[in-house]
Amino acid sequence: MRKKLGLAALGVASMLALAACSSGANSGSSSTPEAANIRVWLNGTDTPQAARDYLKTTFESQNPGSTLTIEEQSWTGLVDKLTTSLSGSDSPDVVEVGNTQAAAFTSAGAFEDLTDKYQDLGGDDLLPGFVTAGTYDGKFYAAPYYSGARLVFYKKDLMAASGLTVPTTLDQYISNGVTLAAANPGVSGIYFPGQDWYNALPYIWENGGEIATDDNGTWKAGFESAGSIAGLKEVQKVMTTASVAPKDGNETDPQVPFCAGTVAQLSAPSWVKGSILAPATATAPGCPDQEANLGVFALPGKNGGAASVFAGGSNIAIAAKSAHPELAYSALKIMLSDGYQTILGNNGLVPAKKSLASTLGTDDVAKATAAAAANAKLTPASPKWADVEAAGILQDFFVKIAQGGDVPTLAADVDGKINAILNG
Amino acid sequence: MSSVSSSIDVAPGAIDCARQVPGPGSGGSGGAAGSGGPAESRRSRARRLLGGKRLAPALLLVPAIVILIVIIGWPLVQLVVVSFQQYGRAQVFGQAAPFIGFDNYTRVLGDSQFWQVLARSFLFCAVNVVVTMSLGTLIALLMTRLNKFFRALLSVGLLLAWAMPALTAVIVWGWLFDTQFGVVNYVLTQVTGIDFIGHSWLINPISFFAVAAIIIIWQSVPFVAFTIYAGLTQVPDEVLEAAQLDGAGAVKRFRLVIFPYLKSIFVVVTILQIIWDLRVFTQVFALQGIGGVREQTSTLGVYIYQTSLGTGDYGAGGAIAVIMVIIMMAISIFYVRQVIKEVEL
Repeated sequence: MRKKLGLAALGVASMLALAACSSGANSGSSSTPEAANIRVWLNGTDTPQAARDYLKTTFESQNPGSTLTIEEQSWTGLVDKLTTSLSGSDSPDVVEVGNTQAAAFTSAGAFEDLTDKYQDLGGDDLLPGFVTAGTYDGKFYAAPYYSGARLVFYKKDLMAASGLTVPTTLDQYISNGVTLAAANPGVSGIYFPGQDWYNALPYIWENGGEIATDDNGTWKAGFESAGSIAGLKEVQKVMTTASVAPKDGNETDPQVPFCAGTVAQLSAPSWVKGSILAPATATAPGCPDQEANLGVFALPGKNGGAASVFAGGSNIAIAAKSAHPELAYSALKIMLSDGYQTILGNNGLVPAKKSLASTLGTDDVAKATAAAAANAKLTPASPKWADVEAAGILQDFFVKIAQGGDVPTLAADVDGKINAILNG
Repeated sequence: MSSVSSSIDVAPGAIDCARQVPGPGSGGSGGAAGSGGPAESRRSRARRLLGGKRLAPALLLVPAIVILIVIIGWPLVQLVVVSFQQYGRAQVFGQAAPFIGFDNYTRVLGDSQFWQVLARSFLFCAVNVVVTMSLGTLIALLMTRLNKFFRALLSVGLLLAWAMPALTAVIVWGWLFDTQFGVVNYVLTQVTGIDFIGHSWLINPISFFAVAAIIIIWQSVPFVAFTIYAGLTQVPDEVLEAAQLDGAGAVKRFRLVIFPYLKSIFVVVTILQIIWDLRVFTQVFALQGIGGVREQTSTLGVYIYQTSLGTGDYGAGGAIAVIMVIIMMAISIFYVRQVIKEVEL
């Protein structure tokens, strides 16, 4: 026991020594809150390494003695994980949450109220759709973090070999996909794993369908409507005739089949470009040698122009149970600072502030992202929508569609389940 | 919060402790089979204690009972309370939870999906138990025949499979059965000449459960094999030799000599397997993340998780968990009674 105490004392002493070193420049400022370690939860690999480093260094220089730890969480099962951790005594301080999941937590009181800090964080410069996603009952709980639009990445050589050009309508995109799949056995003309419901939404929206609509406080799921059925039949056609992706696979790590040469066209969030071009030594290796062969366009709509695509992205919030809300706010402010958001923009993520849109650059991806983002849509704004996602109802639904199931029957079934949850 | 997340743990926890309690008893009966002496004296000593100071054994039990009440009793009470409340995500974060009587139970019992899940769980459990017990027994018998080196090699192999965390096991097996890049599809294509690349093993519920069963059985056979092997070493060689001289073949010797000797061990291990396989969670849950249709492949444990944490309906999740605890307790009571009966014989 005595030995342990000695070790602990040694540890504390060395920590103090280290703290003294790092805070040399700022010594004297005593108004800062008590030093502590702040835990920031980021999800998946979407946030680039440069931004993570920037956050840690900036935070630790602004708050001498305090440290910041980034803990990476998986997008899969995130709602469950946040529910258990945010309500417990070991809550993280700052958390990233999917924009469609935010309402589940703002409505439950899991986040700290940031209403009086709205102007300080960027005010009206913040992305409006994401501010709405982070607001509940007139109070602002979760700030926008980044947005992303879905783009189509394609292999230029395969397109050229089949004599195809970049499609201008959704129908042309689908027929290109079918042609590419027929011309290249074992290759997906359009990569479409069965669980990937995000990519199915544009087909529904472009045909005039909706996921669910709010009718005076009662939610009504809309997969059974004529427009939705037409869109779902197109989805089934793509899944069964243009895609060799696993019928029950999910949308994570699409760069793996893309780089393995089994994908001609891939609809994915804009930041996937970074994953495709990641060095072969990365944890999720890409194929940087394909850069010259990598084309990109915004998914075209039914009548030309950009289609309505799903606006993915995140909000960030401070846990209501955070033990160090002041330090957590300091970290959150850095994440919304121009410097941090510029790094996100340079990496293909749409920044949380409208004024920083130009940081996306002027290349094809940036242009396509801008076109897609302008027409992006969100999932139903219900606090219970996250439950529909977490229950895996849509994943099951689209896997059955990929298997060739009867669309109207399946649509009626899934509508019943969504209604039960949203109105339950 | 933890009232809810622990609700999932309650059943396994309760079972685990039930498993601990009779442990020594079954060991005693095993010892009795070998040599009557030690068990005999232990029993008489216990009787003396009971006769002399009646309080002493009760006092000795106090720490264990206190720990059980705190670790298992309290969450179990919470679980039962939640199952009678309207309890959603808002309640997790501190809002009041109104009592709604048996509403959660009527909702759960009236849901056809619940009955499907229950039937599926029992069927899956039965298959796992039968295969695990047969394989485990065969491997245990094999171990008695092997020389020292190969027995050590086999033991190490079994231990590695046993020691592997369930989640790791699922991920590795998931890679083996991967639709696009899996070794299984590759080898099958090479061997049979039929193109298996792109064949999904998880999308069909039957082959999904086949993969799940392989993972679960692979990890539970070692326990069965080791336990039965330990029992086998207690069977007196003279008896087996005598049986052999009387002309009994291997099957007959197993059925008429070995099995009666090890009956108590078989009963204990089988019931443990039933309990473990009925509450299986990790393997099925993780496989569902890799592929397959959740609705067609959920077992009881996963269904409780999806209902409570997935859809935020903790009340209904609690009701299902209580029903599961009752089922588990029924099996446990049967198990404890069986063990006591064996000891008394």
